[in-house]
Amino acid sequence: MARKWGQQLKQLIVKKADLPEDVIMDLPRITMIGQLHIYIENHRGLLAFTDREVRLMLKHGQLLIKGSAFVIKTILPEEIMLEGQVEQVLFINE
Amino acid sequence: MKNQWTNYYTGYVKVKAFGRGTERLINSLTRRGLYVWDVKRISTEALVFYMEISDIPKLRQIVRKSDCKVTFLHGKGVPFLWKRVLKNSGFLVGLFAFLFSIFILSNMVWGIEVHNAKPETEHAIRKELERMGVKVGKLQFYLDDVDTIQRKLSDEIEELTWVGVELKGTTFHFQVVEKQQPKKVEATSPQHLVSKKKAIITEMFVEKGKSIVKVNDYVGKGQLLVSGIIGTEEKPEIVPAKGVIKGQTWYKANVEVPLETKFSVYNGDEKTKHYLKFWNVSIPIWGFIKPDYSDYEEEVTIRPLYFLQWKLPVSYKEKTWRSKEEIKRVYTKKEAVAEGKKMARSNLEKRVEEDAEIIGEKILHQSIENGKVKLSIHYQVIEDIATGQSIIQGD
Repeated sequence: MARKWGQQLKQLIVKKADLPEDVIMDLPRITMIGQLHIYIENHRGLLAFTDREVRLMLKHGQLLIKGSAFVIKTILPEEIMLEGQVEQVLFINE
Repeated sequence: MKNQWTNYYTGYVKVKAFGRGTERLINSLTRRGLYVWDVKRISTEALVFYMEISDIPKLRQIVRKSDCKVTFLHGKGVPFLWKRVLKNSGFLVGLFAFLFSIFILSNMVWGIEVHNAKPETEHAIRKELERMGVKVGKLQFYLDDVDTIQRKLSDEIEELTWVGVELKGTTFHFQVVEKQQPKKVEATSPQHLVSKKKAIITEMFVEKGKSIVKVNDYVGKGQLLVSGIIGTEEKPEIVPAKGVIKGQTWYKANVEVPLETKFSVYNGDEKTKHYLKFWNVSIPIWGFIKPDYSDYEEEVTIRPLYFLQWKLPVSYKEKTWRSKEEIKRVYTKKEAVAEGKKMARSNLEKRVEEDAEIIGEKILHQSIENGKVKLSIHYQVIEDIATGQSIIQGD
């Protein structure tokens, strides 16, 4: 219950103070260039990586990217740059 | 994000990781701050990626804790390239040795050619050159420059009027002009002998012809000495008169000798600086102190370096400062007169023929004016006064 309160508070601050959501709420910021690149900030680690599917851990839930010929161009603790043919980006919330 | 272009210089490796949980390995690598790029899945259990060489010890620690194994596929970048270069250093050494030997050979003397010279003169030139060190196989660097060689040759070898020295690539060309040795003119045409100048005859030696004058006779210029017409008056015979008629002649010389003369002489102090010249920029390589001579002369020698037929932009430059001193020479009157006599005599010797003999000198007049000693000297000279005058026949 306390966590929910916190979340709501953050959302309130974002709304009132007009601050970027990804900074305050630890949400992933995803940038895509067509289907060629996908750049994800604020991820929490690599869960699965094949050339057709990449599964990333987020703070809440997971991010599933489907496509083909995936190559991780760079990977840093909180950033990942993926190259290939991106077809689907799915959020998985448990 | 890190600058990627430095990776090439620091070196990086391609790593293959296989086993279960390769993704977890990547996560722990990035969390430890390793920089990983171009991750590719090559099979269900294996990944390849690139990483920096300097991170390899960290990689080992992390791999030990994981379920994966890694192998290094190959390295890229300067360190690996350098390793390969060292491994093949024979080629590199060979290449440099080759360039170096060509460079050395390009700066050697490979030929000495003497043009338009008689065999004797050519031999003399070659001998003189050898003495000067100009030989086949010598480095041009240590030889005198062309102008110096030219000057030395013309000084040393008398038969030369002029010698042109040219360095074409590795060959010295000597263009020779020999002195025209005066040809002995055979006096075959009928002639009289006449006097060149006024004189008193001291000695007569007539080979052919009829002598008209006697010893101790005074003759004027152009006077007939030996006639080419001999025989009786009824049957005259015309011959080329020949002989040596020596006579006493007179010369007058005027000289001026200043009592005080200022000279600039080298006092032996000199300093040399060495430079390497790249295009127009001279970089000193030895000798950095500029000498503090009050008066000096500067001499610059530039020795070009060659590679095959090309002149390299690099050349060796030598700059020499020679200290000069002003010296004042003061003559007493007596010394000045002696000096004047000496000067006048050597001038006279240049004027008269070689076999002439100076038998007497007398100072006619002597005065000091504006710090100068003025001398007027009278000389008595014995010389050959005869010269040929052809007899015009026809009547």
